[in-house]
Amino acid sequence: MSSNIPEKLLYSKEHEWILVEDNCAMIGITDFAQSSLGDIVFVELPEEDRELEKDESFGVVESIKSVSDLYSPVAGKVIEINSDLEGSPDSINSDPYGSWMVKIEIKNQKELEDLMNAQDYLSYCQG
Amino acid sequence: MELKRTEIYEEHLKLNAKMVNFANFDMPIQYTSIKDEVASVRNAAGIFDVSHMGEFLVKGSDAENFVDHLLTNDIKNAPVGKAIYSPLCDLSGKIIDDLIAYKITEDEILICVNASNIKKDWDWMKTQSSNYDIVLTNESAQYSLFALQGPHTEKILKRLDLIDIKNLDYYSVKKSKIENTEVIIARTGYTGEDGVEIFIPNELAKTLWSWFIEAGVTPCGLAARDVLRLEVGFPLYGQELTNEITPFDCGLKWTVKMNKEDFIGKSSLSSYEISKKSFKFSIEKGIPRSGYPIKDNSGAQVGIVTSGTMSPTLGKGIAFASINATVSLQEDLFVEIRKMTSKCEIYKKPFYTGGHK
Repeated sequence: MSSNIPEKLLYSKEHEWILVEDNCAMIGITDFAQSSLGDIVFVELPEEDRELEKDESFGVVESIKSVSDLYSPVAGKVIEINSDLEGSPDSINSDPYGSWMVKIEIKNQKELEDLMNAQDYLSYCQG
Repeated sequence: MELKRTEIYEEHLKLNAKMVNFANFDMPIQYTSIKDEVASVRNAAGIFDVSHMGEFLVKGSDAENFVDHLLTNDIKNAPVGKAIYSPLCDLSGKIIDDLIAYKITEDEILICVNASNIKKDWDWMKTQSSNYDIVLTNESAQYSLFALQGPHTEKILKRLDLIDIKNLDYYSVKKSKIENTEVIIARTGYTGEDGVEIFIPNELAKTLWSWFIEAGVTPCGLAARDVLRLEVGFPLYGQELTNEITPFDCGLKWTVKMNKEDFIGKSSLSSYEISKKSFKFSIEKGIPRSGYPIKDNSGAQVGIVTSGTMSPTLGKGIAFASINATVSLQEDLFVEIRKMTSKCEIYKKPFYTGGHK
């Protein structure tokens, strides 16, 4: 499967991308993830201000026939959600890297070390 | 265990299908997009390889008597050339499978069963057949089955100069020939749209499939098939129908002909008190899925979702549920999705009416 994996992002084993700017992690799902899921028809995002543990489920993304949990790649507080996605979940298919889901205030920068860079994520997907 | 393959397995790979294990067959779940595949069947035509399904042939002077005794629905009074949908029940009236019996002639009936139940059905039918003058054969491995479904069905068959179905009514069956090979064609399907199911000897499968693909018919996978059948309100064995319930517990009373001669399960069913009932519903937001609890006004669980999906045709989540028979459908019912509840909007009729003949 050909997959678009931008260089500037970090990646989790749950096929999420993370854009780090200072103390803020912007999170979405990768091109690989959206393509495996197929037509995305529903997104459920957390309340703002919710405190998330690392690897805690914070929402779901549903295709016609499947439900997938979204996991927070880092611990921290939800500072913003992209509520536009609830009305147009299919934009995750058409533009996965433009369709961020949540912004999290990073509690512990060290947790970013567990994430993959683009090259490692590419091998992970091919693995 | 090595998965079984249909005759045209390689063709699915060539079309980049996503393959999954379904009833121990490696089957195409989707090719491009479920949404597009569903839309093709609703608006044009789609082709499904459903060769995993089982085919049993009943031949002989007692064919009608045997099948009529075996099934709850009426085969004997059906005219030659008719297809009959029926549950297959055990002595206690519990459902072993649901199937279609195709009355090709009085002494030749084709029975098409669910892939996951082939062995169970075969064993059951074998043990029930001893007193009848019939030859019962399991043709499942020799036959491929394609379902051509959608409003363009007749046009496509005509364009390919395959089979004239102008006079083949809904739920009718006939023998025909393709490339000098005998095939069985029926105006049946699992989508609610006009369409045919064509039973063909394996050696013809690859040729016929490629004709449909070259004619621009959309290949459709099992996921689209499941969405299509849900939208038009057809039950599925293993979901809505199980061997823990009778046809009376799941909306199939119309398929049990208590007035006909004795049949397997009749005596149990005549005194049976229903324990469950089924209903269809949609919700405003979110998607109900199989296994989600159904609750009443007080928050008590009264049932469970048996199948659910996003309906691309309706643009909302739809589902079938099974609840305790004592619960009234006049009361408000709710589905619980990840600890949140949504009110069920109950449908008395199918969510969508297809354009079948």
